[in-house]
Amino acid sequence: MIFDYCVKEFRISFMIRRKHYFVNNLVIFVLAQLVWLALLGLWIYWYVSNYLIFEQVGETVSPQINIDTPSVFPFVGGIVLLVGLSFSLVLIFRHLNVQIRLRRLYDNFIDNVTHELKSPLSSIQLYLETLVSRDVPQEKRKEFYELMMKDTARLQNLINSILEISKIESKKKRSSFALHQANEFLPKLIEDSAAQFRLNRNDLKLETTGSCEIEVDAGSFKIVFDNLIDNAIKYSTGSLKLEVKIICNQKKLEITFKDNGIGLPSNEQKKIFQKFYRIYDKDIPNVKGTGLGLYWVKEIIKNHKGKITAHSEGKAKGTTINIVLPVRKSKVTEIEREKGKLQ
Amino acid sequence: MSAKILLVEDEENLAMGLEYNLKEEGYKVDWAKDGKEAIKFFAENNYDLILLDIMLPYLNGFEVAGFIRKENPQMPILMLTARTGVDDKVKGLEIGADDYITKPFHLKELLLRIKGMLKRKSWYSSVVKHEPIYKFGGNEINFENFKCRKGKTEFQLTSYEAMIMKYLILNKNKIVTRKELLENVWNTAPDVETRTIDNFMVRLRKYFENDPADPKFILSVRSAGYMFQDQI
Repeated sequence: MIFDYCVKEFRISFMIRRKHYFVNNLVIFVLAQLVWLALLGLWIYWYVSNYLIFEQVGETVSPQINIDTPSVFPFVGGIVLLVGLSFSLVLIFRHLNVQIRLRRLYDNFIDNVTHELKSPLSSIQLYLETLVSRDVPQEKRKEFYELMMKDTARLQNLINSILEISKIESKKKRSSFALHQANEFLPKLIEDSAAQFRLNRNDLKLETTGSCEIEVDAGSFKIVFDNLIDNAIKYSTGSLKLEVKIICNQKKLEITFKDNGIGLPSNEQKKIFQKFYRIYDKDIPNVKGTGLGLYWVKEIIKNHKGKITAHSEGKAKGTTINIVLPVRKSKVTEIEREKGKLQ
Repeated sequence: MSAKILLVEDEENLAMGLEYNLKEEGYKVDWAKDGKEAIKFFAENNYDLILLDIMLPYLNGFEVAGFIRKENPQMPILMLTARTGVDDKVKGLEIGADDYITKPFHLKELLLRIKGMLKRKSWYSSVVKHEPIYKFGGNEINFENFKCRKGKTEFQLTSYEAMIMKYLILNKNKIVTRKELLENVWNTAPDVETRTIDNFMVRLRKYFENDPADPKFILSVRSAGYMFQDQI
Protein backbone atom coordinates (compact mmCIF):
# COMPACT_ATOMS: atom_id res chain seq x y z
CA MET A 1 0.00 0.00 0.00
CA ILE A 2 2.83 2.36 0.94
CA PHE A 3 4.59 1.49 -2.26
CA ASP A 4 1.46 2.11 -4.33
CA TYR A 5 1.13 5.49 -2.70
CA CYS A 6 4.71 6.42 -3.59
CA VAL A 7 4.40 5.17 -7.14
CA LYS A 8 1.19 7.17 -7.54
CA GLU A 9 2.89 10.31 -6.22
CA PHE A 10 5.82 9.84 -8.54
CA ARG A 11 3.62 9.21 -11.57
CA ILE A 12 1.67 12.38 -10.87
CA SER A 13 4.91 14.41 -10.62
CA PHE A 14 6.27 12.73 -13.75
CA MET A 15 3.06 13.50 -15.65
CA ILE A 16 3.20 17.10 -14.46
CA ARG A 17 6.80 17.39 -15.69
CA ARG A 18 5.91 15.91 -19.08
CA LYS A 19 2.81 18.10 -19.26
CA HIS A 20 4.92 21.19 -18.52
CA TYR A 21 7.36 20.30 -21.28
CA PHE A 22 4.50 19.74 -23.73
CA VAL A 23 2.62 22.91 -22.67
CA ASN A 24 5.78 25.06 -22.95
CA ASN A 25 6.46 23.89 -26.49
CA LEU A 26 2.83 24.28 -27.46
CA VAL A 27 2.73 27.83 -26.08
CA ILE A 28 5.87 28.78 -28.06
CA PHE A 29 4.40 27.26 -31.21
CA VAL A 30 1.03 28.98 -30.83
CA LEU A 31 2.72 32.32 -30.07
CA ALA A 32 4.91 31.96 -33.16
CA GLN A 33 1.85 31.27 -35.30
CA LEU A 34 0.07 34.29 -33.82
CA VAL A 35 3.08 36.49 -34.59
CA TRP A 36 3.19 35.47 -38.23
CA LEU A 37 -0.58 35.75 -38.63
CA ALA A 38 -0.41 39.25 -37.15
CA LEU A 39 2.38 40.10 -39.59
CA LEU A 40 0.30 38.78 -42.49
CA GLY A 41 -2.71 40.83 -41.32
CA LEU A 42 -0.52 43.90 -40.95
CA TRP A 43 0.87 43.40 -44.41
CA ILE A 44 -2.63 43.10 -46.00
CA TYR A 45 -3.83 46.11 -44.02
CA TRP A 46 -0.78 48.17 -45.01
CA TYR A 47 -1.09 47.16 -48.65
CA VAL A 48 -4.84 47.87 -48.92
CA SER A 49 -4.70 51.20 -47.03
CA ASN A 50 -1.74 52.40 -49.07
CA TYR A 51 -3.49 51.40 -52.25
CA LEU A 52 -6.57 53.42 -51.22
CA ILE A 53 -4.44 56.48 -50.37
CA PHE A 54 -2.57 56.15 -53.62
CA GLU A 55 -5.86 55.89 -55.52
CA GLN A 56 -7.22 59.03 -53.79
CA VAL A 57 -4.01 60.98 -54.35
CA GLY A 58 -3.90 59.79 -57.94
CA GLU A 59 -7.44 60.93 -58.60
CA THR A 60 -6.78 64.36 -57.04
CA VAL A 61 -3.45 64.98 -58.76
CA SER A 62 -4.18 63.56 -62.13
CA PRO A 63 -7.66 62.23 -62.87
CA GLN A 64 -6.35 61.00 -66.21
CA ILE A 65 -4.34 58.23 -64.54
CA ASN A 66 -6.44 55.16 -64.75
CA ILE A 67 -6.05 52.82 -61.82
CA ASP A 68 -8.41 49.94 -62.50
CA THR A 69 -7.18 47.20 -60.27
CA PRO A 70 -4.43 46.95 -57.72
CA SER A 71 -1.26 45.33 -59.01
CA VAL A 72 -1.36 41.65 -58.09
CA PHE A 73 2.40 41.07 -58.17
CA PRO A 74 3.49 42.97 -55.02
CA PHE A 75 0.44 41.71 -53.12
CA VAL A 76 1.11 38.07 -53.93
CA GLY A 77 4.84 38.64 -53.51
CA GLY A 78 4.26 39.97 -50.00
CA ILE A 79 2.06 37.04 -49.07
CA VAL A 80 4.65 34.57 -50.45
CA LEU A 81 7.32 36.30 -48.38
CA LEU A 82 5.21 36.05 -45.24
CA VAL A 83 4.36 32.42 -45.86
CA GLY A 84 8.08 31.84 -46.37
CA LEU A 85 8.71 33.59 -43.11
CA SER A 86 6.22 31.41 -41.28
CA PHE A 87 7.76 28.31 -42.86
CA SER A 88 11.20 29.40 -41.68
CA LEU A 89 9.73 30.01 -38.25
CA VAL A 90 8.39 26.45 -38.15
CA LEU A 91 11.80 25.15 -39.29
CA ILE A 92 13.59 27.18 -36.59
CA PHE A 93 11.09 25.91 -34.03
CA ARG A 94 11.69 22.30 -35.10
CA HIS A 95 15.44 22.79 -35.04
CA LEU A 96 15.23 24.35 -31.60
CA ASN A 97 13.20 21.41 -30.34
CA VAL A 98 15.77 18.96 -31.69
CA GLN A 99 18.52 20.98 -30.00
CA ILE A 100 16.64 20.96 -26.70
CA ARG A 101 16.13 17.20 -26.96
CA LEU A 102 19.81 16.63 -27.78
CA ARG A 103 20.88 18.87 -24.91
CA ARG A 104 18.68 16.88 -22.55
CA LEU A 105 20.09 13.58 -23.84
CA TYR A 106 23.62 14.93 -23.46
CA ASP A 107 22.94 16.12 -19.89
CA ASN A 108 21.53 12.70 -19.05
CA PHE A 109 24.60 11.09 -20.58
CA ILE A 110 26.93 13.23 -18.46
CA ASP A 111 24.89 12.36 -15.36
CA ASN A 112 25.00 8.67 -16.22
CA VAL A 113 28.71 8.64 -17.05
CA THR A 114 29.45 10.50 -13.81
CA HIS A 115 27.47 7.87 -11.94
CA GLU A 116 29.14 5.01 -13.82
CA LEU A 117 32.62 6.42 -13.17
CA LYS A 118 32.15 7.46 -9.59
CA SER A 119 30.37 4.36 -8.32
CA PRO A 120 33.21 1.87 -8.98
CA LEU A 121 35.75 4.52 -7.99
CA SER A 122 34.06 5.04 -4.60
CA SER A 123 33.88 1.31 -4.12
CA ILE A 124 37.64 0.90 -4.81
CA GLN A 125 38.45 3.84 -2.50
CA LEU A 126 36.23 2.39 0.23
CA TYR A 127 37.93 -1.02 0.09
CA LEU A 128 41.41 0.50 0.01
CA GLU A 129 40.67 2.71 3.01
CA THR A 130 39.13 -0.27 4.80
CA LEU A 131 42.23 -2.37 4.17
CA VAL A 132 44.49 0.44 5.36
CA SER A 133 42.55 1.34 8.48
CA ARG A 134 41.23 -2.02 9.68
CA ASP A 135 42.63 -5.37 10.55
CA VAL A 136 40.75 -7.31 7.88
CA PRO A 137 40.87 -11.14 8.05
CA GLN A 138 42.65 -12.89 5.17
CA GLU A 139 39.43 -14.40 3.74
CA LYS A 140 37.76 -10.99 3.63
CA ARG A 141 40.86 -9.43 2.10
CA LYS A 142 40.65 -11.85 -0.82
CA GLU A 143 36.98 -11.01 -1.26
CA PHE A 144 37.76 -7.28 -1.24
CA TYR A 145 40.52 -7.68 -3.85
CA GLU A 146 38.12 -9.54 -6.12
CA LEU A 147 35.47 -6.84 -5.71
CA MET A 148 38.05 -4.15 -6.51
CA MET A 149 39.08 -6.06 -9.63
CA LYS A 150 35.43 -6.21 -10.73
CA ASP A 151 35.23 -2.45 -10.26
CA THR A 152 38.38 -1.78 -12.27
CA ALA A 153 37.00 -4.01 -15.05
CA ARG A 154 33.80 -1.94 -15.00
CA LEU A 155 35.79 1.27 -15.29
CA GLN A 156 37.86 -0.19 -18.10
CA ASN A 157 34.71 -1.28 -19.99
CA LEU A 158 33.21 2.18 -19.71
CA ILE A 159 36.35 3.94 -20.91
CA ASN A 160 36.76 1.41 -23.74
CA SER A 161 33.16 1.84 -24.86
CA ILE A 162 33.54 5.62 -25.12
CA LEU A 163 36.84 5.35 -27.01
CA GLU A 164 35.67 2.56 -29.34
CA ILE A 165 32.43 4.34 -30.23
CA SER A 166 34.39 7.45 -31.04
CA LYS A 167 36.68 5.35 -33.31
CA ILE A 168 33.74 3.74 -35.09
CA GLU A 169 32.07 7.10 -35.63
CA SER A 170 35.18 8.68 -37.06
CA LYS A 171 35.81 5.56 -39.22
CA LYS A 172 39.16 5.07 -37.51
CA LYS A 173 38.26 1.66 -36.16
CA ARG A 174 40.49 -1.06 -37.55
CA SER A 175 38.49 -4.25 -37.70
CA SER A 176 40.15 -7.56 -38.28
CA PHE A 177 37.56 -9.28 -40.39
CA ALA A 178 38.03 -13.01 -40.82
CA LEU A 179 36.00 -15.86 -42.25
CA HIS A 180 34.26 -18.04 -39.70
CA GLN A 181 31.90 -20.98 -39.82
CA ALA A 182 28.85 -19.30 -38.19
CA ASN A 183 27.34 -22.45 -36.62
CA GLU A 184 30.61 -23.15 -34.77
CA PHE A 185 32.01 -19.70 -34.16
CA LEU A 186 28.92 -17.83 -32.87
CA PRO A 187 27.72 -20.39 -30.24
CA LYS A 188 31.21 -20.45 -28.73
CA LEU A 189 31.32 -16.66 -28.55
CA ILE A 190 27.85 -16.50 -26.96
CA GLU A 191 28.75 -19.20 -24.42
CA ASP A 192 31.91 -17.26 -23.51
CA SER A 193 29.88 -14.09 -22.91
CA ALA A 194 27.29 -15.99 -20.87
CA ALA A 195 30.05 -17.50 -18.72
CA GLN A 196 31.61 -14.07 -18.22
CA PHE A 197 28.28 -12.76 -16.87
CA ARG A 198 27.89 -15.90 -14.75
CA LEU A 199 24.69 -16.85 -16.51
CA ASN A 200 23.64 -20.35 -15.51
CA ARG A 201 24.22 -22.77 -18.40
CA ASN A 202 20.64 -24.13 -17.98
CA ASP A 203 19.20 -20.64 -18.43
CA LEU A 204 20.76 -20.30 -21.88
CA LYS A 205 19.17 -22.26 -24.72
CA LEU A 206 21.23 -22.22 -27.91
CA GLU A 207 19.86 -23.53 -31.20
CA THR A 208 21.67 -23.61 -34.51
CA THR A 209 20.09 -24.37 -37.88
CA GLY A 210 22.08 -24.77 -41.09
CA SER A 211 25.63 -23.75 -41.73
CA CYS A 212 27.19 -20.78 -43.47
CA GLU A 213 30.33 -18.71 -43.57
CA ILE A 214 30.43 -15.19 -42.25
CA GLU A 215 33.10 -12.52 -42.40
CA VAL A 216 33.23 -10.85 -39.01
CA ASP A 217 35.53 -9.20 -36.52
CA ALA A 218 35.55 -11.58 -33.54
CA GLY A 219 36.41 -8.84 -30.99
CA SER A 220 33.52 -6.67 -32.11
CA PHE A 221 31.09 -9.57 -32.02
CA LYS A 222 32.14 -10.42 -28.48
CA ILE A 223 31.18 -6.84 -27.56
CA VAL A 224 27.78 -7.32 -29.25
CA PHE A 225 27.00 -10.48 -27.28
CA ASP A 226 28.39 -9.04 -24.03
CA ASN A 227 26.09 -6.04 -24.35
CA LEU A 228 23.04 -8.10 -25.28
CA ILE A 229 23.52 -10.54 -22.40
CA ASP A 230 24.31 -7.72 -19.96
CA ASN A 231 21.09 -5.95 -21.00
CA ALA A 232 19.04 -9.13 -20.69
CA ILE A 233 20.37 -9.58 -17.13
CA LYS A 234 19.86 -5.93 -16.18
CA TYR A 235 16.30 -5.77 -17.42
CA SER A 236 14.88 -8.95 -15.97
CA THR A 237 13.20 -9.21 -12.60
CA GLY A 238 13.00 -12.95 -11.96
CA SER A 239 15.34 -15.69 -13.13
CA LEU A 240 16.53 -14.95 -16.65
CA LYS A 241 15.85 -17.40 -19.46
CA LEU A 242 17.65 -16.64 -22.68
CA GLU A 243 16.87 -18.33 -25.99
CA VAL A 244 19.34 -17.78 -28.81
CA LYS A 245 18.64 -19.06 -32.31
CA ILE A 246 21.17 -18.96 -35.11
CA ILE A 247 19.62 -19.64 -38.49
CA CYS A 248 21.88 -19.90 -41.52
CA ASN A 249 20.82 -20.07 -45.11
CA GLN A 250 22.41 -19.25 -48.43
CA LYS A 251 21.33 -15.62 -48.38
CA LYS A 252 21.61 -14.49 -44.79
CA LEU A 253 22.38 -15.31 -41.21
CA GLU A 254 19.80 -14.54 -38.58
CA ILE A 255 20.49 -14.39 -34.85
CA THR A 256 17.58 -13.96 -32.42
CA PHE A 257 18.06 -13.21 -28.75
CA LYS A 258 14.86 -13.77 -26.83
CA ASP A 259 14.65 -13.07 -23.09
CA ASN A 260 11.87 -13.28 -20.52
CA GLY A 261 12.62 -9.83 -19.08
CA ILE A 262 10.53 -6.73 -18.49
CA GLY A 263 9.88 -6.13 -22.21
CA LEU A 264 9.73 -2.91 -24.17
CA PRO A 265 6.86 -0.56 -24.95
CA SER A 266 6.28 -0.36 -28.73
CA ASN A 267 7.23 3.34 -28.93
CA GLU A 268 10.69 2.61 -27.46
CA GLN A 269 11.64 -0.27 -29.74
CA LYS A 270 13.43 1.87 -32.32
CA LYS A 271 14.68 4.52 -29.91
CA ILE A 272 16.77 2.14 -27.78
CA PHE A 273 19.44 2.06 -30.50
CA GLN A 274 19.86 5.84 -30.46
CA LYS A 275 22.99 7.33 -28.93
CA PHE A 276 22.64 8.25 -25.22
CA TYR A 277 19.04 7.02 -25.21
CA ARG A 278 17.83 5.46 -21.98
CA ILE A 279 14.35 4.50 -20.87
CA TYR A 280 13.27 6.19 -17.66
CA ASP A 281 10.52 4.08 -16.25
CA LYS A 282 9.59 3.32 -12.67
CA ASP A 283 9.20 -0.37 -13.46
CA ILE A 284 12.78 -0.77 -14.66
CA PRO A 285 14.80 -2.72 -12.09
CA ASN A 286 18.11 -1.12 -13.01
CA VAL A 287 19.35 2.45 -13.24
CA LYS A 288 22.91 1.72 -14.31
CA GLY A 289 24.14 2.48 -17.80
CA THR A 290 25.19 5.27 -20.12
CA GLY A 291 22.83 4.88 -23.07
CA LEU A 292 25.76 3.82 -25.26
CA GLY A 293 25.58 0.00 -25.18
CA LEU A 294 22.92 -0.67 -27.81
CA TYR A 295 24.13 2.23 -29.94
CA TRP A 296 27.56 0.59 -29.96
CA VAL A 297 25.98 -2.76 -30.88
CA LYS A 298 24.04 -1.13 -33.73
CA GLU A 299 27.19 0.57 -35.07
CA ILE A 300 29.12 -2.73 -35.01
CA ILE A 301 26.32 -4.53 -36.87
CA LYS A 302 26.16 -1.66 -39.37
CA ASN A 303 29.92 -1.99 -39.84
CA HIS A 304 29.30 -5.65 -40.76
CA LYS A 305 26.62 -4.57 -43.28
CA GLY A 306 23.91 -6.09 -41.11
CA LYS A 307 20.73 -4.93 -39.44
CA ILE A 308 19.51 -5.04 -35.86
CA THR A 309 15.96 -4.61 -34.57
CA ALA A 310 14.17 -5.04 -31.25
CA HIS A 311 10.72 -6.39 -30.73
CA SER A 312 8.53 -6.96 -27.71
CA GLU A 313 4.92 -7.92 -27.14
CA GLY A 314 4.85 -5.32 -24.40
CA LYS A 315 5.66 -4.88 -20.74
CA ALA A 316 6.68 -8.03 -18.86
CA LYS A 317 6.55 -10.05 -22.07
CA GLY A 318 10.26 -10.22 -22.80
CA THR A 319 12.30 -8.71 -25.61
CA THR A 320 13.60 -10.22 -28.84
CA ILE A 321 16.66 -8.74 -30.51
CA ASN A 322 17.03 -9.72 -34.13
CA ILE A 323 20.32 -9.47 -36.01
CA VAL A 324 20.58 -10.14 -39.73
CA LEU A 325 23.99 -10.46 -41.37
CA PRO A 326 25.08 -11.16 -44.93
CA VAL A 327 26.76 -14.51 -45.49
CA ARG A 328 29.78 -15.29 -47.60
CA LYS A 329 28.55 -17.22 -50.62
CA SER A 330 30.40 -20.50 -50.89
CA LYS A 331 32.11 -21.45 -54.14
CA VAL A 332 29.80 -24.45 -54.57
CA THR A 333 26.75 -22.18 -54.40
CA GLU A 334 28.27 -19.78 -56.89
CA ILE A 335 29.09 -22.64 -59.31
CA GLU A 336 25.54 -24.01 -58.98
CA ARG A 337 24.12 -20.54 -59.70
CA GLU A 338 26.34 -20.17 -62.75
CA LYS A 339 25.13 -23.59 -63.96
CA GLY A 340 21.53 -22.50 -63.49
CA LYS A 341 22.14 -19.37 -65.56
CA LEU A 342 23.68 -21.40 -68.39
CA GLN A 343 20.77 -23.85 -68.49
CA MET B 1 22.18 -0.95 22.50
CA SER B 2 23.73 -0.52 19.07
CA ALA B 3 22.09 1.76 16.54
CA LYS B 4 20.28 0.28 13.56
CA ILE B 5 21.02 1.69 10.13
CA LEU B 6 19.08 1.21 6.91
CA LEU B 7 21.54 1.23 4.01
CA VAL B 8 19.85 1.94 0.66
CA GLU B 9 22.29 1.36 -2.19
CA ASP B 10 21.89 -0.45 -5.52
CA GLU B 11 25.61 -0.73 -6.24
CA GLU B 12 26.32 -4.17 -4.84
CA ASN B 13 30.11 -3.78 -4.44
CA LEU B 14 29.85 -0.46 -2.65
CA ALA B 15 26.99 -1.64 -0.44
CA MET B 16 28.97 -4.71 0.66
CA GLY B 17 31.92 -2.52 1.68
CA LEU B 18 29.67 -0.09 3.52
CA GLU B 19 27.84 -2.89 5.30
CA TYR B 20 31.15 -4.41 6.42
CA ASN B 21 32.44 -1.11 7.79
CA LEU B 22 29.20 -0.17 9.54
CA LYS B 23 29.05 -3.60 11.19
CA GLU B 24 32.69 -3.24 12.25
CA GLU B 25 31.69 0.03 13.95
CA GLY B 26 29.11 -1.90 15.93
CA TYR B 27 25.95 -0.86 14.07
CA LYS B 28 23.20 -3.22 12.99
CA VAL B 29 22.64 -2.89 9.25
CA ASP B 30 19.81 -3.73 6.87
CA TRP B 31 20.56 -3.38 3.20
CA ALA B 32 17.85 -2.37 0.73
CA LYS B 33 18.75 -2.65 -2.97
CA ASP B 34 16.13 -0.30 -4.37
CA GLY B 35 13.61 2.37 -3.39
CA LYS B 36 10.73 -0.09 -3.15
CA GLU B 37 12.64 -2.33 -0.76
CA ALA B 38 13.77 0.70 1.29
CA ILE B 39 10.19 1.74 1.97
CA LYS B 40 9.21 -1.83 2.79
CA PHE B 41 12.09 -2.14 5.29
CA PHE B 42 11.32 1.27 6.77
CA ALA B 43 7.66 0.34 7.29
CA GLU B 44 8.52 -2.96 8.94
CA ASN B 45 11.46 -1.96 11.19
CA ASN B 46 12.69 0.79 13.45
CA TYR B 47 15.86 2.51 12.37
CA ASP B 48 18.09 5.15 13.91
CA LEU B 49 19.49 6.44 10.63
CA ILE B 50 18.99 6.04 6.88
CA LEU B 51 22.00 6.05 4.55
CA LEU B 52 20.37 6.73 1.21
CA ASP B 53 21.68 6.70 -2.35
CA ILE B 54 19.89 8.94 -4.89
CA MET B 55 19.99 6.96 -8.14
CA LEU B 56 17.90 3.92 -7.28
CA PRO B 57 15.63 1.62 -9.24
CA TYR B 58 11.82 1.93 -8.89
CA LEU B 59 11.85 4.97 -6.56
CA ASN B 60 14.75 7.40 -6.39
CA GLY B 61 16.38 8.66 -3.19
CA PHE B 62 14.43 11.95 -3.22
CA GLU B 63 11.13 10.07 -3.31
CA VAL B 64 12.22 7.70 -0.57
CA ALA B 65 13.42 10.64 1.59
CA GLY B 66 10.13 12.49 0.99
CA PHE B 67 8.15 9.48 2.09
CA ILE B 68 10.28 8.83 5.18
CA ARG B 69 10.16 12.50 6.16
CA LYS B 70 6.34 12.47 6.06
CA GLU B 71 6.19 9.39 8.26
CA ASN B 72 8.97 10.36 10.65
CA PRO B 73 10.20 13.99 10.65
CA GLN B 74 12.97 13.20 13.14
CA MET B 75 14.59 10.31 11.23
CA PRO B 76 18.20 11.28 10.33
CA ILE B 77 18.77 10.84 6.60
CA LEU B 78 22.26 10.97 5.11
CA MET B 79 22.20 11.15 1.32
CA LEU B 80 24.94 9.45 -0.63
CA THR B 81 25.33 10.18 -4.29
CA ALA B 82 27.58 10.38 -7.33
CA ARG B 83 25.84 13.52 -8.52
CA THR B 84 27.60 16.74 -7.62
CA GLY B 85 25.14 19.35 -8.91
CA VAL B 86 24.13 22.07 -6.45
CA ASP B 87 20.51 21.55 -7.52
CA ASP B 88 20.61 17.95 -6.33
CA LYS B 89 22.06 19.00 -3.01
CA VAL B 90 19.45 21.71 -2.54
CA LYS B 91 16.64 19.37 -3.61
CA GLY B 92 17.84 16.68 -1.19
CA LEU B 93 18.05 19.10 1.72
CA GLU B 94 14.69 20.67 0.87
CA ILE B 95 13.00 17.30 0.83
CA GLY B 96 14.38 16.71 4.29
CA ALA B 97 17.75 15.00 4.09
CA ASP B 98 19.88 16.08 7.03
CA ASP B 99 23.21 15.76 5.33
CA TYR B 100 24.72 14.96 1.96
CA ILE B 101 27.95 13.20 1.02
CA THR B 102 29.26 12.82 -2.53
CA LYS B 103 30.96 9.79 -4.05
CA PRO B 104 33.84 9.06 -3.88
CA PHE B 105 34.01 9.77 -0.15
CA HIS B 106 36.47 9.10 2.64
CA LEU B 107 35.48 6.31 4.96
CA LYS B 108 36.51 8.24 8.09
CA GLU B 109 34.43 11.25 7.08
CA LEU B 110 31.36 9.11 6.41
CA LEU B 111 31.67 7.32 9.73
CA LEU B 112 32.15 10.63 11.57
CA ARG B 113 29.05 12.08 10.00
CA ILE B 114 27.00 9.02 10.89
CA LYS B 115 28.28 9.17 14.47
CA GLY B 116 27.46 12.87 14.69
CA MET B 117 23.95 12.40 13.33
CA LEU B 118 23.21 9.56 15.74
CA LYS B 119 24.54 11.60 18.67
CA ARG B 120 22.34 14.51 17.65
CA LYS B 121 19.31 12.25 17.31
CA SER B 122 19.85 10.78 20.73
CA TRP B 123 20.32 14.25 22.33
CA TYR B 124 17.26 15.63 20.57
CA SER B 125 15.00 12.70 21.54
CA SER B 126 15.99 13.02 25.17
CA VAL B 127 15.40 16.78 25.40
CA VAL B 128 12.15 16.71 23.43
CA LYS B 129 10.59 14.10 25.73
CA HIS B 130 10.23 16.59 28.62
CA GLU B 131 8.70 19.46 26.69
CA PRO B 132 7.49 18.49 23.21
CA ILE B 133 5.46 21.68 22.69
CA TYR B 134 6.83 25.14 23.36
CA LYS B 135 4.90 28.42 23.18
CA PHE B 136 6.28 31.95 23.08
CA GLY B 137 4.85 35.30 21.95
CA GLY B 138 2.06 33.95 19.76
CA ASN B 139 4.28 31.18 18.34
CA GLU B 140 3.96 27.46 18.97
CA ILE B 141 6.53 24.80 18.11
CA ASN B 142 5.88 21.08 18.21
CA PHE B 143 9.34 19.57 18.53
CA GLU B 144 8.12 16.06 17.82
CA ASN B 145 6.70 16.59 14.36
CA PHE B 146 8.38 19.99 13.63
CA LYS B 147 5.02 21.65 12.99
CA CYS B 148 4.78 25.32 14.02
CA ARG B 149 2.15 27.97 14.27
CA LYS B 150 2.49 31.73 14.22
CA GLY B 151 -0.95 33.16 14.88
CA LYS B 152 -3.10 31.29 12.37
CA THR B 153 -0.25 30.49 9.96
CA GLU B 154 1.05 26.94 10.09
CA PHE B 155 4.44 25.84 8.76
CA GLN B 156 7.00 23.08 9.05
CA LEU B 157 10.57 23.32 10.31
CA THR B 158 13.42 21.21 8.98
CA SER B 159 15.20 18.98 11.47
CA TYR B 160 18.19 21.37 11.72
CA GLU B 161 15.92 24.38 12.30
CA ALA B 162 14.06 22.48 15.02
CA MET B 163 17.32 21.42 16.66
CA ILE B 164 18.72 24.96 16.68
CA MET B 165 15.49 26.30 18.18
CA LYS B 166 15.53 23.57 20.80
CA TYR B 167 19.13 24.32 21.68
CA LEU B 168 18.45 28.06 21.95
CA ILE B 169 15.33 27.45 24.08
CA LEU B 170 17.23 25.06 26.38
CA ASN B 171 19.77 27.84 26.87
CA LYS B 172 17.16 30.58 27.25
CA ASN B 173 18.55 33.99 28.30
CA LYS B 174 22.11 32.70 27.88
CA ILE B 175 24.54 33.57 25.11
CA VAL B 176 25.02 30.66 22.72
CA THR B 177 28.16 30.96 20.61
CA ARG B 178 28.38 29.85 16.98
CA LYS B 179 31.10 27.40 17.98
CA GLU B 180 28.79 25.88 20.58
CA LEU B 181 26.04 25.46 17.97
CA LEU B 182 28.49 23.89 15.54
CA GLU B 183 29.68 21.45 18.17
CA ASN B 184 26.31 20.50 19.56
CA VAL B 185 23.92 20.71 16.63
CA TRP B 186 26.17 19.91 13.67
CA ASN B 187 28.75 17.95 15.64
CA THR B 188 31.29 20.00 13.67
CA ALA B 189 30.60 18.66 10.21
CA PRO B 190 33.68 19.77 8.26
CA ASP B 191 31.86 21.63 5.51
CA VAL B 192 29.65 23.72 7.77
CA GLU B 193 30.80 27.32 8.04
CA THR B 194 29.82 29.77 10.75
CA ARG B 195 27.97 31.75 8.07
CA THR B 196 25.60 28.81 7.65
CA ILE B 197 24.48 29.39 11.23
CA ASP B 198 23.78 33.05 10.50
CA ASN B 199 21.65 31.98 7.51
CA PHE B 200 19.67 29.65 9.74
CA MET B 201 19.09 32.49 12.20
CA VAL B 202 17.79 34.74 9.42
CA ARG B 203 15.30 32.02 8.48
CA LEU B 204 14.22 31.40 12.06
CA ARG B 205 13.64 35.12 12.60
CA LYS B 206 11.46 35.20 9.49
CA TYR B 207 9.38 32.39 10.96
CA PHE B 208 8.96 33.64 14.51
CA GLU B 209 9.62 37.37 14.71
CA ASN B 210 6.96 39.99 13.97
CA ASP B 211 9.68 42.20 12.50
CA PRO B 212 12.73 40.09 11.50
CA ALA B 213 14.80 43.30 11.14
CA ASP B 214 14.14 44.12 14.76
CA PRO B 215 14.15 40.70 16.52
CA LYS B 216 12.67 40.35 19.99
CA PHE B 217 13.13 36.61 20.58
CA ILE B 218 16.27 35.54 18.70
CA LEU B 219 18.80 38.24 19.52
CA SER B 220 22.28 38.74 18.12
CA VAL B 221 24.96 39.40 20.67
CA ARG B 222 27.79 41.29 19.01
CA SER B 223 31.05 39.28 18.73
CA ALA B 224 29.57 36.53 20.85
CA GLY B 225 26.67 34.69 19.24
CA TYR B 226 22.95 34.49 19.77
CA MET B 227 20.53 34.58 22.68
CA PHE B 228 16.94 33.44 22.93
CA GLN B 229 14.42 35.12 25.19
CA ASP B 230 10.68 34.49 25.29
CA GLN B 231 9.68 37.56 27.30
CA ILE B 232 9.61 40.75 25.30
